[in-house]
Amino acid sequence: MYSLHEIKTRGYLPPKRLRRLLFYGFLALGKVFITNMKDIKKLSSLSNTKRRYHRPPRRFEIPQYNKNMKYCTKDERYLRPTMYCNSHAPEIVALAHQLGAYQKSDQEFAEAAFEFAKRKLILEMLPLDGVENTLRRGTGTCLHELSVFVALCRAAGIKARYKLYSMNMIEAWSDTLADDPMVKKWSDAMGYFMIHGEAEAYVDGKWMVCDVGPTPERQAGSNIPITRFGEDSIGIWFSVIPGTIMEVESISFGLNAMMKLVFKVAPATVDNVNANILDQIKLGRKILAEKGEKEYDAEIRKNFKPKFPEPVLKKRHEIIFEK
Amino acid sequence: MTDLNSYIAKLDKAIEKYIPSKNTPLYESLYKPKDLFRIPLDDAKKMQLKTIKHSFIHHYNNNQFYHNFCKEHSFSPEDIKTNEDLDKIPLIPDKFFKDYPNGKEFATWLANIYTGDLPKIVIKQKKPTYDDVIDAFNRAGIIVTYSSGTGGRHTFVPRDQRTFLNSEYILAKSFVTMVYPFWEYDSYGYLLMPNPRKNFIYAGKAVEVYFDAVKDVDVAIDRRVTTELISMTMGGAGGIKSKFVRYFAYKKSKKMIDDIIAWLEKHENTDHKITFVGAPYILYAVMEKLKKQGRTFNFGERGGVGTGGGWKIHENKRIPVSDFRKEVQNVLGFKDKYILDIYGMVEGNGWMVHCPEGHYLHVPYSFYKPLVLDDEFKPADYGEWGRFAFLDGAAQSYPGFIVTGDRVRLLKRCPVCDRPGPVLEPEVKRAKGEDVRGCAEEVRKMLSSDLGS
Repeated sequence: MYSLHEIKTRGYLPPKRLRRLLFYGFLALGKVFITNMKDIKKLSSLSNTKRRYHRPPRRFEIPQYNKNMKYCTKDERYLRPTMYCNSHAPEIVALAHQLGAYQKSDQEFAEAAFEFAKRKLILEMLPLDGVENTLRRGTGTCLHELSVFVALCRAAGIKARYKLYSMNMIEAWSDTLADDPMVKKWSDAMGYFMIHGEAEAYVDGKWMVCDVGPTPERQAGSNIPITRFGEDSIGIWFSVIPGTIMEVESISFGLNAMMKLVFKVAPATVDNVNANILDQIKLGRKILAEKGEKEYDAEIRKNFKPKFPEPVLKKRHEIIFEK
Repeated sequence: MTDLNSYIAKLDKAIEKYIPSKNTPLYESLYKPKDLFRIPLDDAKKMQLKTIKHSFIHHYNNNQFYHNFCKEHSFSPEDIKTNEDLDKIPLIPDKFFKDYPNGKEFATWLANIYTGDLPKIVIKQKKPTYDDVIDAFNRAGIIVTYSSGTGGRHTFVPRDQRTFLNSEYILAKSFVTMVYPFWEYDSYGYLLMPNPRKNFIYAGKAVEVYFDAVKDVDVAIDRRVTTELISMTMGGAGGIKSKFVRYFAYKKSKKMIDDIIAWLEKHENTDHKITFVGAPYILYAVMEKLKKQGRTFNFGERGGVGTGGGWKIHENKRIPVSDFRKEVQNVLGFKDKYILDIYGMVEGNGWMVHCPEGHYLHVPYSFYKPLVLDDEFKPADYGEWGRFAFLDGAAQSYPGFIVTGDRVRLLKRCPVCDRPGPVLEPEVKRAKGEDVRGCAEEVRKMLSSDLGS
């Protein structure tokens, strides 16, 4: 349980933007559920999945923890443990040390943590839980993956936070995620992909953005560039819904409720999406094996779509809101 | 036969309010030439440079987001000296116009992508919908047109009156020029699109000029088609309300086909000239019904058709434009030379029209520069297939320098007729991985119950 003080100071209550997103997300999801009761009934049983999902083996070993391992204990914003992101967890501390915490420079460590989170953790749709569990499984949603990266940085004394937003459902993702009819209906009802994110690490006086969510194989399988340390995926391979970016210390209440609801009501949908993700990884692995990662990335960057301009949502005095 | 100058003068008189403002480069490049598709290339090049540069400077100086975008690309008005320099103007992907927030922020987004001074816009609702915001802008004189709700996202483009009138003038002049000497004001039209006087969906709205160019126009879809309605009829939303809406859309569609047949019967034994303008899908449904009944008409030189995209006839069946023309000839008896397709999009104000001789899509090149981009988004040579992009000198209220999701082939000149300007191959396709879209495609999806089949 969290104390009231923690809830207030660590940002566990969703900010206004997220509250609005959650409200519309639940509304859209509820509408999809209510208007597709027959389908929901089918999707509530795993026996109705097109293919069963089998979790792939973990891509790494969790190093041994010992009590002498140093970790950051400061109770400072962006350095302390937060919801689902316990930077004091033995698994995190041990891994941070293996990656060079307190040995490497902040920049080198953050890059090592980025490479770990990006390459070793596999996307799997499931309800949110702590970073220890994510490491044990080796899989999780983008939010699980972000939490591992954030926790590793915090354990090493580097400030880290989440950058969350709503994005447009890109073609590359709609093939995998919205291939399931229920997800497609939800996505169509909302008009965008409700929540996605990146992490940010504060290195040498600058917030460095880290797109740890998609592994290089998934990016290759989606025909998009492989994002590097410090490179924002916004504008490179997708665009965000203006006005939805939130830079926050913690994941907040509400997000997990949505995931749990989907998981409970339509496990077959989740299973189907997860199986699609594995297919995408398989495809991407093949592409990278054939072309080589560097060559693939160089080629796709040449061919990829042009950058989007970013309108700033500046208030205009000519627009008068009467209410 | 009326000479072309008198013919266009008559059109200009009928649609006088749409003529571009005097003393502007657009007036010189759009209004002054009588035939937009026969301007000598050297003259057109000068007009094109002047018009597009003028437009670029306007957006660079009066649109903050585009100004920043140009700065990121290290491009400024001083970099434009020749027509070739125009190719370096930073292009906005069409998907940009699908990236908007909702509620009050949608209004702010529209205001921030708009070029120039805004009038006072009052939004009364606490939680405005897209339609509420569109209505508020419209009351203030800014027409927010929208298209393509595929994937749950519409494309929204804010047009001031001037830009909107430019677009309409271009459409009317381009089409009327191509069908010369067919057009006359004292004729009868049928708009196969939603009523532009009740709607902001670009399907239909763009052809409001039809009501001024032709004496008597009937409308196939005479009701308000809101973003919400599109979402429901296109299957984006479920629920009982949506099912009712789809059912009524289906019922109305059946009646619409019968009304069009009755209209054809009314004009059959007269000397009236008739035209259809709009979604080919509806006319196809009419012809299918007539064929089932074993009936044909023979309007001959009295009939003309201007279609606008959307060549999917059923969910997975696309009809070639040439097959459609044959059908119109066989069933309605119209002449091939007066059955022309028009290619345009909600983000642009230039309209490309089939020539009667070869049915290639002719580009109005005196104020609009077409580009084909290769896989690296760099301008490709004539004759290459690639992504269509354009520099639109007629867009005043938003930067009309756009990369589309359409796949085209641009030729230096028409292989069939003697018009000197560039053309696109007759059939435009969507680039790989892009959504199917287009106004007519929306209309087809709205009336999704497979009419006449």
